[in-house]
Amino acid sequence: MTDRDAQIDTAVTMLTEAARSGIPCPPVRDHVADIDTAYEVQRRLTAARVETGARRVGAKIGLTARAVQQQFGVYQPDFGILLDDMVNGHTEPLRRNRFLQPRAEGEIAFVLGRDLDQPGVTVADVLRATDFVLAAVEIVDSRIAGWDLTITDTVADNASSGAVVLGTTPFRLDGLDLARVGMTLHLDGEPVSFGAGHACLGSPVVAVAWLARELARRGQPLAAGDVVMSGALGPMVPITGAGRYRLVLDGLGEVEAVIEEEEDA
Amino acid sequence: MSTLEALAERLDVAQLSRTAIPSLGDGLGIGDAYAVQSAVLARRTARGERLTGVKLGFTSKAKMAQMGVSEVILGRLTDAMRSDDGADVVLSRFIHPRIEPEIAFRLSRDIESDDPTDIESCVDAVAPALEIIDSRYRDFRFTHVDVVADNTSAAGYVIGAWHPVQDLTNRAVRLLSGRTELVGSTAAILGAPVRALHALRGVCRDHRIPLRAGQIVLAGAVTAAVPFTRGVTTCDVAGLGMVTVRGV
Repeated sequence: MTDRDAQIDTAVTMLTEAARSGIPCPPVRDHVADIDTAYEVQRRLTAARVETGARRVGAKIGLTARAVQQQFGVYQPDFGILLDDMVNGHTEPLRRNRFLQPRAEGEIAFVLGRDLDQPGVTVADVLRATDFVLAAVEIVDSRIAGWDLTITDTVADNASSGAVVLGTTPFRLDGLDLARVGMTLHLDGEPVSFGAGHACLGSPVVAVAWLARELARRGQPLAAGDVVMSGALGPMVPITGAGRYRLVLDGLGEVEAVIEEEEDA
Repeated sequence: MSTLEALAERLDVAQLSRTAIPSLGDGLGIGDAYAVQSAVLARRTARGERLTGVKLGFTSKAKMAQMGVSEVILGRLTDAMRSDDGADVVLSRFIHPRIEPEIAFRLSRDIESDDPTDIESCVDAVAPALEIIDSRYRDFRFTHVDVVADNTSAAGYVIGAWHPVQDLTNRAVRLLSGRTELVGSTAAILGAPVRALHALRGVCRDHRIPLRAGQIVLAGAVTAAVPFTRGVTTCDVAGLGMVTVRGV
């Protein structure tokens, strides 16, 4: 076993144990030399979940806001893989304790009608391949204590993914300008996060094109039927307990993520 | 000269001489602060300026929490503060100007301070807007009472094309100022800009401020303010288009 393999094993073990125990681990960056190595850690973690019965159903893009990129000192987004056990429907209750340090974000989910497996996917390809879009709440989570992250920490940890909650009203993209979709996320009726499609690399369509190219380049291309979480439209909101996180997208419907504490269930 | 009149003079001189002053200090109530604001405006109108409308501040929960208040504040706009869409604005007019994206309403009729008419029925148009704020206090450091006395930092505004009245809840807003981009939703204004109109009625009633047909209402900032510097700043509101100003 090379030293690199041993380091990857260490990171995989730390993140696996944190997810299993519910106790966050220290950063893994000292074991992950670069972004390619971090994606290798992510690939092994995902493969292990697939081996135990999970199914890949799509992907998510992260770090799409300029402000967040600057905070991480990176000039590109990252991605994670969506598995079927992460996907939930409008108002399906989610236990708070299935997460470690969850935060909610308002997003647009793309559902693909065709493969996007060419290396040079363009915005035009994304528009042609998209069957419909849905309002979606992403619940991001970090296995790393205190969200003390560098780019390699979050990439290794499946881009800090937790769960997604999908709306149930599909919208076709014809004539829609996703950059100009306003976003408000309400917690128990109070508006707590504001944004718009502009904040996601200029437009969520641009974000999905980047994601498709990056996944194709790394040998994990997007396929027909995949759900693609296209990036946050506004600031993340910490999930501190039970609550209803209702996302309203201007002209694109709404969706509600319901978080329950153990005693409510 | 009364104490309130003396405070108005300090603020007026600060604006005219572009010299920031310290906080007015303790001892003033909110009613006194609006009296100082009115006295500052009286000095401006005595110099030939004309009232053109009002503006609201503290319309975001975050700002209210930061200032420890639960009520919006009101300032007055004059024609001297207005610039045309696309116009040049001379930066040396200001002390330390900032700019923020807004929504503007236009009033179709006079509204006395105790008028019970639904204010929504008194609006005949909406527009995208930019507001230039310029606190007369050093480093924008002020109390709730200070900022009301200082006419809520009002310094300039630009209105884009007027549109028919429509639901403006949750419209995408993008402010571009040089290389700075801020994105938000109109819902940041009290959950929906129309609520600013109702909040305005309350402030007008409490402080006996009448509104006039043709006046405009700036409903509150959609994003944080950014420094207003040399170059072009634009505000794009989905469905209402853009408004632009150039700092020179």
